[in-house]
Amino acid sequence: MTKPSDDKRLELLQGTLDMLILRILQWGPQHGHGIGQAIRTQTDDLLKVETGSLYPALHRLEKRGWLKAQWAISEANQRAKYYRLTAAGQAQLSRERDKWSQLVDAIGRILNPAPASKE
Amino acid sequence: MGPRQDELDDEIRGHLALSIKERIDRGEAPDAARFAALKEFGNVTLTRDSMRSVWRPRWFGAVEALGRDIRFALRSLLRAKGLTATVVITLALGIGANAAIFSVVRGVLLRPLVNRDEDRLIYIRQSAPGVGFDNMTFSMPEIDDFKARVKSIAAFGDFSTVDFALIGLGREPRMVKAGVVSGTFFEVMGLRPVLGRLLNAADDGPQAVGAAVLTYRFWSTSLNSDRSVVGRTVRLGPRAATVVGVLEPSVPYPADTEIIANVVTSPHHLGATMVTSRTHRMTELFGRLAPGATLESVRTELTAVHTAIKREHPEAYSTKADVQLQVSKLRDQISAPARTILLLLLGAAAVVFVIACSNVANLILARSVRRQNELSVRAALGAGKGALRRTLLAESLVLCGSGALLGLIIAKPLVAVLARFAARFSVRALEVTVDSSLLWVAAGLAVAAAVLLAYVPRLPSAHAPGGFGLSGGSVRITPSTNRRLRMFATTQIAFSFVLLAAAGMLITTLIALQQTNTGFDTRRVLALDVPPSAPGVVDPANAALYERVTNRISALPGVQGVATGMVVPWRDAGLLGPPGKFAVEGYTPADGEEPPSARLRPVGARFFSVLGIPLLAGREFNDGDRSTSEQVSIVSQSVAQRLFPNGDAINRKMWWVGSPLPGSDQPQVRRIVGVVADVDDEHVIGKPMFTIYQPLSQRGITNRIFVHAAGDPYSLVPSVTRVIRELSSEQPIARPATLEDIKAEVLSPDRLNAFVLAGFAGIALLIAVVGVAGVLAFSVSARTREFGVRLAIGSTPRSLLLGVLSQGAATVLIGIVAGTIGGYAFSRVASSYFGDIGTPGAISLVGAAGVLIMAAVVASLMPAARASRVDLVQALRSE
Repeated sequence: MTKPSDDKRLELLQGTLDMLILRILQWGPQHGHGIGQAIRTQTDDLLKVETGSLYPALHRLEKRGWLKAQWAISEANQRAKYYRLTAAGQAQLSRERDKWSQLVDAIGRILNPAPASKE
Repeated sequence: MGPRQDELDDEIRGHLALSIKERIDRGEAPDAARFAALKEFGNVTLTRDSMRSVWRPRWFGAVEALGRDIRFALRSLLRAKGLTATVVITLALGIGANAAIFSVVRGVLLRPLVNRDEDRLIYIRQSAPGVGFDNMTFSMPEIDDFKARVKSIAAFGDFSTVDFALIGLGREPRMVKAGVVSGTFFEVMGLRPVLGRLLNAADDGPQAVGAAVLTYRFWSTSLNSDRSVVGRTVRLGPRAATVVGVLEPSVPYPADTEIIANVVTSPHHLGATMVTSRTHRMTELFGRLAPGATLESVRTELTAVHTAIKREHPEAYSTKADVQLQVSKLRDQISAPARTILLLLLGAAAVVFVIACSNVANLILARSVRRQNELSVRAALGAGKGALRRTLLAESLVLCGSGALLGLIIAKPLVAVLARFAARFSVRALEVTVDSSLLWVAAGLAVAAAVLLAYVPRLPSAHAPGGFGLSGGSVRITPSTNRRLRMFATTQIAFSFVLLAAAGMLITTLIALQQTNTGFDTRRVLALDVPPSAPGVVDPANAALYERVTNRISALPGVQGVATGMVVPWRDAGLLGPPGKFAVEGYTPADGEEPPSARLRPVGARFFSVLGIPLLAGREFNDGDRSTSEQVSIVSQSVAQRLFPNGDAINRKMWWVGSPLPGSDQPQVRRIVGVVADVDDEHVIGKPMFTIYQPLSQRGITNRIFVHAAGDPYSLVPSVTRVIRELSSEQPIARPATLEDIKAEVLSPDRLNAFVLAGFAGIALLIAVVGVAGVLAFSVSARTREFGVRLAIGSTPRSLLLGVLSQGAATVLIGIVAGTIGGYAFSRVASSYFGDIGTPGAISLVGAAGVLIMAAVVASLMPAARASRVDLVQALRSE
């Protein structure tokens, strides 16, 4: 195999898949395969989303109104379902981004305590 | 909701196509690319299912899982056909019996009457517990007093029953039972006509025009719903009346009559006795609560007024009689007689249900032990407790559902049988129909049973030491399972024993009733009702007519004798009222002793020889006893022995004290001319009752004819009818029957009681036998290895057989002991609510025990035989 070996691959954190999907779709409508590929290529194969998680997640987001779906012919010359971000989805993405950066910040403070707080 | 199945498929297909294309573009071979893409995708079906489940409501998963479990249950139950059939039939019996009984209980005890505002309708009853009168009804002066004084009752309605000869509807003159009512009756009862009008205030009083309303039953069954009858003029005995309307279908209470007429149609109701005699009681009283009044307030006021009336007229209310007043809602009054018996039946049905459930629990428990491997494997594969429980629940739901379905099929005809049965106690049972409540009861019982049953088996647990193992190849019973199995089997036996003993009690009573010697020649005597066309009127022409009729009938071939009377044994019980007091020359009551009292029975000439009652001394009445000749009487053996122990009753003088017959004259001194054997014409199992007979010609009205036949009594009916018709074309003739058949008819409630309870006991016995056999069969199959070892170390097959048999017998004995104790305790509790229920005698107890032990032995035989035939080698290898 030419790709990084499987043990190097990272487990997706619980609850972050939705945020990743929304973020990918900010660049424009995309089908499920494309979303999966985008996550993989943009992380240099460190993150790989299983189809068994990706597709139910897409449908979950569609049901909540954050995505809108449309059928179109794909580059493989077949019918494919393209997902597009809605305004509600956009809002949800920024909420999740805020939460995520707060979380990273908080965890970071514990892992790398600032010298000032040591006094 | 959500995308369709093919859209999901398309989406996945689109993904795969893109994935393959990408790989081909990278230079992979098409086949390899396809394979790799599929491999990368993973489980297509699972992904599709989880996509779909996103769109479903949360509960859908649970329901779908249950559906899957039910399909699984169906499949696995179909593999165990014997068990499934047993369980379903057992449950069907339990559920069917309960649903049917409940329908009847609901129809008779719980459903409201059709009457307008029926819960404000009350029934007023006067009783005299001191002389054993449960309902002695009211006299007109009493009713007038109530009407004048009671304020909390808006209106009173009264109702009395008379028999009329009805001429003018249909070809033959017919005897009809008629209600005679005042103008307020229908208003108080809140009933409506289906045709014409009902009676109202304008129909009241002696100056009104005769008017009659037909009851719905009479109109629809006897007159084929002929709408032209309204407006027709008919003759009711001597009077004429116009049919003014037809009453809506309603509970016929207090009496199931054909017509309801106004007072003017009945000469008796206009007579002085009826209007003025305070003790001439024959009228039933209803009332409608005034606005604001409650049952309690009305009861208080009525009781106060009644007490005042009693004080004002002490002569009409003897202290000994202890006259009292009861007030109840009409609905309760109607259903009261059926209440005890129906509740007892409901109890019996509940017992059958308990037996059925514990039997099924047993079978399920045994099955779950057999399935322990399957359950352990599933638990090991990750099935949670909930999932396993759900599997069991699905299975018991399927079983109970099919049981309920079959039970409903059984219940429908059962309701019909039970309604006919209950009709003996309450007229309301006639309207009981099968309705949706039956369905709900069955469904409720099924769900209750299903949930119960699902929790009977213990689930495999990873933590419980010594629990279910995956290793064992054969079935093993843990001590606790074994205890449970035996407990259920014992429960069944105990309950069956109670039912069997109760049924045995009823059956022994019934046999005693049927075999009792009544003192009458029941097989050869035909009794006919030939009432005078109007009641309460003594008509000399009538007496002459009856004399001619008896003469002509005795001349008929095949007739050995004819006599007249006023009372057909058993059928007319209570017709002549309570015993009257009499005095007799030569017997002085001791100080403080009440004068002796006896039943008065006016009978015609040759009565005793015709009915087969032995004459012990003196002579019987003959044609020489006329109204103008010497006044005579005949006493029963008990009177003669009690009052004249020296056997010198003949020729003594006796006379009545007070008036034992309505409208009777001054007491006359009578000479005792004969002594006859004791008979009891009110009870089939007779007690020696003081009875005094006197000639019909000297007092009384002939209305019954008895014919002693040489051959078949019924073959005489046409010729007897013809003879009477020839002499009087207007004479009604009714209810010809032999005394034997009358006895059977009187006993039929007892027979039905015994029949219904025996039915329940039979069902219970059947279920219990299946239960005992099932437990033993299971324990034998689980102990195959043990039996093999025992055979190997020298046990004989015979001792194994005996061991299993005694195991069965022990279960039954424990059950019987528990049943005796429980049944005794229950009967004590029940009798405090229902009055004396009676305790089964030794015969029925021993009989029930015997039946159960025999059944247990039969049930144990097959498993025992199997135990004794265990193949040594196979048994030892089985593990």
